[in-house]
Amino acid sequence: MASEHHKPPRQLGGELVIPIIAVGFTIYFFSTIWNSPWTAQVSAFMVGGFLLFVCAIFFVRCAVWLSRGEGSLGFGNLFTIEDIRTGRIGLLFTTIAYVMFIDTLGFTLMTFLFLAISMLILAKGKRPGFILMISGAMALTGWAVFIWAFDTRFPRGWFETMMKAVLANG
Amino acid sequence: MDSSTASILAEVFFETLGYWYIIIPTIFLGLIVGGIPGFSAANTIIILMPLTLALDLQSGLVFMISLYCSARMGAGIPAILVNIPGTAGAAATPLDGYPMAKQGKGQQALAISFVASCIGGLLTTMIALATMPILARVGFYMHSVEMIVVMLFGISLIASIAAQDMVKGLIAGFLGLMIGSIGTDVVYATPRATFGFLELYDGVPLIPALVGLFAVSEAFVIIEKRVIVNHTNEPKAPNWTDTFDGVRIALKRWVHIVWTSIIGLVIGVIPGAGASIASFVAYQQSRSFSKTPELYGTGHPEGLIAPESANNGVTSGTLVPLLVLGIPGGATAAIMLVVMQFHGVSFGPSLFEDQPKVGYGMFMAMAVSYVIMFLTILPLSRYMSHVTTVPTIYLAPMIIAFTLVGGFVPREYMFDMYLALAFGVLGYIARRTGYHVAAILIGVILGPLLEKYFLWSLKKSDGDIMVLFSSTLGNILWVAFAMSIILPIVFGMRRKRKLEVPAE
Repeated sequence: MASEHHKPPRQLGGELVIPIIAVGFTIYFFSTIWNSPWTAQVSAFMVGGFLLFVCAIFFVRCAVWLSRGEGSLGFGNLFTIEDIRTGRIGLLFTTIAYVMFIDTLGFTLMTFLFLAISMLILAKGKRPGFILMISGAMALTGWAVFIWAFDTRFPRGWFETMMKAVLANG
Repeated sequence: MDSSTASILAEVFFETLGYWYIIIPTIFLGLIVGGIPGFSAANTIIILMPLTLALDLQSGLVFMISLYCSARMGAGIPAILVNIPGTAGAAATPLDGYPMAKQGKGQQALAISFVASCIGGLLTTMIALATMPILARVGFYMHSVEMIVVMLFGISLIASIAAQDMVKGLIAGFLGLMIGSIGTDVVYATPRATFGFLELYDGVPLIPALVGLFAVSEAFVIIEKRVIVNHTNEPKAPNWTDTFDGVRIALKRWVHIVWTSIIGLVIGVIPGAGASIASFVAYQQSRSFSKTPELYGTGHPEGLIAPESANNGVTSGTLVPLLVLGIPGGATAAIMLVVMQFHGVSFGPSLFEDQPKVGYGMFMAMAVSYVIMFLTILPLSRYMSHVTTVPTIYLAPMIIAFTLVGGFVPREYMFDMYLALAFGVLGYIARRTGYHVAAILIGVILGPLLEKYFLWSLKKSDGDIMVLFSSTLGNILWVAFAMSIILPIVFGMRRKRKLEVPAE
């Protein structure tokens, strides 16, 4: 019978992350407005107070599930070994690197490097030629549309400087 | 409408049709800039300002209006196909559009969205044209008290989204409201919860929040699958059947298109209110009075029609206060005002007497743009929908790269890219642990607006909370709001009872 099937315990550790962030942030928010005029406090105390109340309900609910053995403090719904196998962790590191170095290397070069490395990680090194080609094409299209045609203030590096000189001198 | 006005309208309509060579390329430009978070009609007109100013008055006007309409529609395309709204105005579109794409109905969803957008936009243009003097007064009657109720209509969508797990939904929504309160308060400019970052004094910028919560987190989730579309719904070869099905589904729900686009028109008329409020309010109202509210969020056509009709209804609404009163209803309208003033056009009541062709020309340019847009974009839905079949190993890095830099565009702060990344992490945790990112985003978008109107009301009344029930229109809106909350519950109970009767 279906009811007799063993149901894996709910991974409450993962589910508690957002409420813990919410509680921590609300307390920090309150600390910044404690001595402020009422205009800065009124809506934050109303919304924050309700948020703390709802989080408290969720904590009680989790405690009940834990006591009944229906849940565990695991993080299986948030981090698994699959995150390494699928390349998610690798993608996270390349994304952080993208944001950190785009200001130094410029939009075009950094976008090319990010796309190429991320795609190679996700594709587990397969079809490197194709990946390099589409990464280059996408980065150059981005440069042509956003920097050359629209003249947006995307971060500029040596590639953009070089192309500006090339275009200026014919 | 007298015969001279009718003849001016007809003349302007055919004149505008003659600018097809400007309208068609602008439509494609609008679809691109509308689809990339961070870009919009407003900043594209600013970027292309030298071109806009170099054009003659009529061409410049047609260019700006076409760009405005098509960018609004373009924002819905990535929202449907990859769960990334191009602008905050399309933030409610993926609620039902993306589930349709995942079910292999991307082409149908695009066709529904295009029909709803074009008919909604065209219809509200006609209504705005006919009722301009009345609509222009709406802005005068909508004060901070009335706006609080309008905001609550949108925010109550959190409760609808939270229906599956009320506690988690409310945590997500109220966390969004708290995040939306970051920055200085509107009365004394006291900084709150800024973590010491000057960049947060103006509040949390919307585009990095949108990019992080939707695009970045989605990119990290989709890599689990080979392609976006579910394995059980293998992509079909391009065909016209799905497009025509989408058109048929949308046209069958024409009443729905009409009333949700009118919601957009009325909200668009109010200066300061925008497409994001309109689309959330329209979605919430559509769900509240639907016979099948339980289908919303699962890929229900009505859940897609409502925000798309409403956000296109806003486009014509924003023109009304601009033309009649000289007050721009939004950022794009404000830029149009600057460009038109450069050409010597002065807005206000005298516009339709002094330069009737300019006044009516703006509405006609909008109508013609929607007609041409419908004819040019609808056939493309069969090709656009194939984005959902691009392997995620290529798609995910592209989404991250181009949306993160999109987060940089509006304010040009590197800080905003880090902020988008932080929201991406929050969005990813929320998705993996069963919290709705749309509920967080509703809070981030509508929270600061609600607070602003709330504080203004309290300030005006010296802190008397009863000011919220002090105006006739406000009280009518309160009753309507209460009805929109209570009636769906009553209808739902009645439906349940009806279903139980045969079983007994």
